Amino acid sequence: MFEFLFKYPRTVFQKGEFLFLSGWPLWLLAALIAAAAAALAWHVRAHGQRLARARRGVIWALESALMALLLVLLWHPAIRVATLRPQQNVIAVLVDTSRSMALKESTQSRLDKVQAALSGGLLRDLGGRFQVRLYDFSSGLERVENPTQLAANGNATRLGEALAGVLRETSSLPLGGVVVFSDGADNTNGIDRNLMAEIRQKRIPIHTVGVGRTEIPYDAEMTDVTVSSRALPGSRLIARVSIRQHGLSGQKARLSVREGSNILAARDITLNSGQTLQTEEILFNSGEPGARKLTFAIDPLPGEEITGNNYLTRVLQVVPGKRRILYIEGEPRWEFKFIRRAAEDDQSIQLVTLLRTSANRFYRQNVDDDKMLADGFPTAAAELFGYQALIIGTIEANFFTPAQQDLIKEFVNRRGGSVLFLGGRHSFSDGGWATSLLAEILPVRITPGGNTFHRRPVKVELTQQGRESLICRLDEDPEKNEARWNKLPDLADYQTTGELKPGAVSLIDAQLPGSKTIPMLVMQNYGRGRVLVFATGGSWRWRMRLEHTDTSHVTFWQQLLRSMVSNTPGPVMLTSDRVIYSDEDRVHLRAEARTQTYEPADNATVVATVTGEDGKPSTLEFHPSPDQEGVYEADLAAEKPGSYRVEVTAHRESEILGRESLVFHREDGVAENFHPEQNRELLQKIAQQTGGKYWDLNEVGKLPSEITYSEAGITTRETRDLWDMPAVFFLALGLLAAEWLLRRKWGAV
Amino acid sequence: MNLRLYRRWLGASCALLLFGAPALPQWRQWRQMMAEHDENPPTPNPDEETEFYFARLAYRNGPGARRWGQAWMTDSPAADRYFLQGVRRLTNIHARSREQYIPPLDNALFDYPWIYAVEVGQWGLNEAEGARLREYLMRGGFLVVDDFHGTYEWAHFVEGIKKVFPDRPIVEIELSDPVFHVLYDLDQKVQIPGIQYLRSGRTFERDGVEPHWRGIYDDKGRLMVVINFDMDLGDAWEWADFPGYPEQWTALAYRFGINYITYAMTH
Repeated sequence: MFEFLFKYPRTVFQKGEFLFLSGWPLWLLAALIAAAAAALAWHVRAHGQRLARARRGVIWALESALMALLLVLLWHPAIRVATLRPQQNVIAVLVDTSRSMALKESTQSRLDKVQAALSGGLLRDLGGRFQVRLYDFSSGLERVENPTQLAANGNATRLGEALAGVLRETSSLPLGGVVVFSDGADNTNGIDRNLMAEIRQKRIPIHTVGVGRTEIPYDAEMTDVTVSSRALPGSRLIARVSIRQHGLSGQKARLSVREGSNILAARDITLNSGQTLQTEEILFNSGEPGARKLTFAIDPLPGEEITGNNYLTRVLQVVPGKRRILYIEGEPRWEFKFIRRAAEDDQSIQLVTLLRTSANRFYRQNVDDDKMLADGFPTAAAELFGYQALIIGTIEANFFTPAQQDLIKEFVNRRGGSVLFLGGRHSFSDGGWATSLLAEILPVRITPGGNTFHRRPVKVELTQQGRESLICRLDEDPEKNEARWNKLPDLADYQTTGELKPGAVSLIDAQLPGSKTIPMLVMQNYGRGRVLVFATGGSWRWRMRLEHTDTSHVTFWQQLLRSMVSNTPGPVMLTSDRVIYSDEDRVHLRAEARTQTYEPADNATVVATVTGEDGKPSTLEFHPSPDQEGVYEADLAAEKPGSYRVEVTAHRESEILGRESLVFHREDGVAENFHPEQNRELLQKIAQQTGGKYWDLNEVGKLPSEITYSEAGITTRETRDLWDMPAVFFLALGLLAAEWLLRRKWGAV
Repeated sequence: MNLRLYRRWLGASCALLLFGAPALPQWRQWRQMMAEHDENPPTPNPDEETEFYFARLAYRNGPGARRWGQAWMTDSPAADRYFLQGVRRLTNIHARSREQYIPPLDNALFDYPWIYAVEVGQWGLNEAEGARLREYLMRGGFLVVDDFHGTYEWAHFVEGIKKVFPDRPIVEIELSDPVFHVLYDLDQKVQIPGIQYLRSGRTFERDGVEPHWRGIYDDKGRLMVVINFDMDLGDAWEWADFPGYPEQWTALAYRFGINYITYAMTH
């Protein structure tokens, strides 16, 4: 219809340049239109006395519009557009042959439909005007001679790489345009920005032809799993699983975490109505030290066409060894005893304590030898930074020298340790902390003054963040957890600390008489580490006021202590760009090496041993990053699927700075099970950004004529008249007819 | 009165007639000194809310109790208050100056993780009280028992403690145990006598010649109960400022007591 009215396809108007061929100045056109409108106004006023004023205005407007149209036509309007020269340009036709293209919809697979379209005249029509190159692409790009050679067996869809490959291959050829047949189920999170910029710069239009349904009728898909990749042995871990479903609203499904055939945890969930992403939590235990490959699964549901997207794999490294926490306490008190007891039951934590029993005496517990902490609280970074976390009980701020306070600050900021401040009669403002150097790192603004510590029982409640936090999980079931917290006895005491700083979150609040609540457990990141406040010294009452078999107090404290040390960086930090590599073999590794005092370590030698599934170790050398001090990088080719273990050692001359390890997993043929529906949005975006057009497969017959309008390749500029467009004549006729009909109706003829 | 008690009463009466008469002037002098002693030291801010309370277990007398009145009250409140003065002065423990009495079946027992029971050779615990004390100790409470002497009182104590822990062994606490070193290094087990020493000149009472520091441990090797057998720390505290009572025993009793509290707050 558009082409019938406007003579040319829409693309011509989108790409063309509008102009007047008469050569007369445009101001004259504007002046004549204005003069004609004025003359008509005088005429209508002089001869239209029988009509009401508004009606005269309508008649004048119609006559003026007609006059303006005629004047514009006199100026000879035209459009200039670039078109590809016949038989001198190449058109690249890319067909997605990943496994998702083998999905059957009605009786034909997606690829069958593409092959039918290509063989049914499209290639012939394109071949009549251009040189056509046919490619298949999935994880790679390959040229084929005819559509019958296409087979949907690729493990992944890498659209960006395919486009880059076509650009490379045709770099010496006049590429006039690219046609992509795909379901858009790209496995590489879209197309690189630089590649898009290059395509735009070369003005190569990419026409995308969408294949497949935009929705799978009955499907549950696990889109993501967020879970820590490192954990301490026997830790409770929380995995957040994102699920998307179509056509299965309200159905019950079984969500599980497995290691091989062992089910570590499972729970029933109800699939949400609507198409929004649903997030479910599942808790499980990290178990014994070692690397584990975990499978998160939704059991297949009745009617599901695709079940390969019900599973996701994650790798978890359970790190052996004890994390060391230093707890300094200013006076003997029950909180101290019961925190120690909770930590004693945790094999992953060594709670070293320094207790000021009398004015000048300190009692050390859990020390490695007689020398440890013999001189009191550490004064050297190398000693303090040997701990992963620090607990400061009820002790005056001025107990610490300014140098020690600065050291504690650097312990958090530079070393990345955690510090927990406990409430007590010498804590926060009562202990002079408001004016100390460490006030800056606290997650609360300390209320100045005193008498903020009260030995009165107080009830606590979880905040929303507390409900979601693993620290406060006394029970895996959220409702039962809430019920357990509601049944907890009052704390023996509380302290009002002050308002939360921006970015700080409170996990537990206390209810004071008169409905006032104050934060009890607050945390905030500071530098590379984290600072927490637990504004009480009375959680021991949870132990003494509940049955001796109740584990609430122990669980809470173990989880709190573990949260403080589980992510504390060591002197060497090793990371990979991903944990799971789906159909990818390029692994980028990054090691950050620090000295004993956690200054970035330059001139270090960083070497890794990489062990794959075959058990054969290989050596990998890291190179210093040009951008960052103390950072070393390496690229690794994980050629075979399976789990890989990387153990890195950083040393400087004869001094070993530290060791670290990580595990990643490479899997093939899994990515194509995900997002199997047509990603129309991506295809439309590619077409729009490159000056091409998105096509439905049914309309693709028109593509050969429209692809002609391109500025890439060898083009010619054509100027085409617009005055003879049928739309112009219909418009003139419509204006005249409207005026005549109105005059007749109003009795003015 | 059963036959055994009757015989003991008769024996004691004869002994008093035979040996007591010559000692009468000395007895009068001792009584005079007692009367001049201020038994109730001052308690500054007695209602202060603190971390530590000297909680005294208010048990019932057992059927074979030697003593009239309430045995659990022995030495109180003077012993408690003198001792608390020492705790407040010598340690960083935030302790209230006044004592606290707590019956075993009172729910508030669980708010006092350290309790002291005196004259436990005369206590009477029923099953419910035994179960309550067991639960208290299993949760993390700490019990110090003191001032009982000789075979007879030991047997009576054991009868009661078996209601608390029927199966847990009572063992000698080795000198190497942290309870003897947590704040003060106590390297010798010196018998600390009661005030009767001033009359009798003996550091022991009845047939309790050898002092014993015994204890009951939990499954993780932590002391739950400290048993001061054949000694009397309570008297040593009570007569702390009494010139007649030897200072070195009071000092030692303070050190043992402070170590017990510190141990309970650290282990």
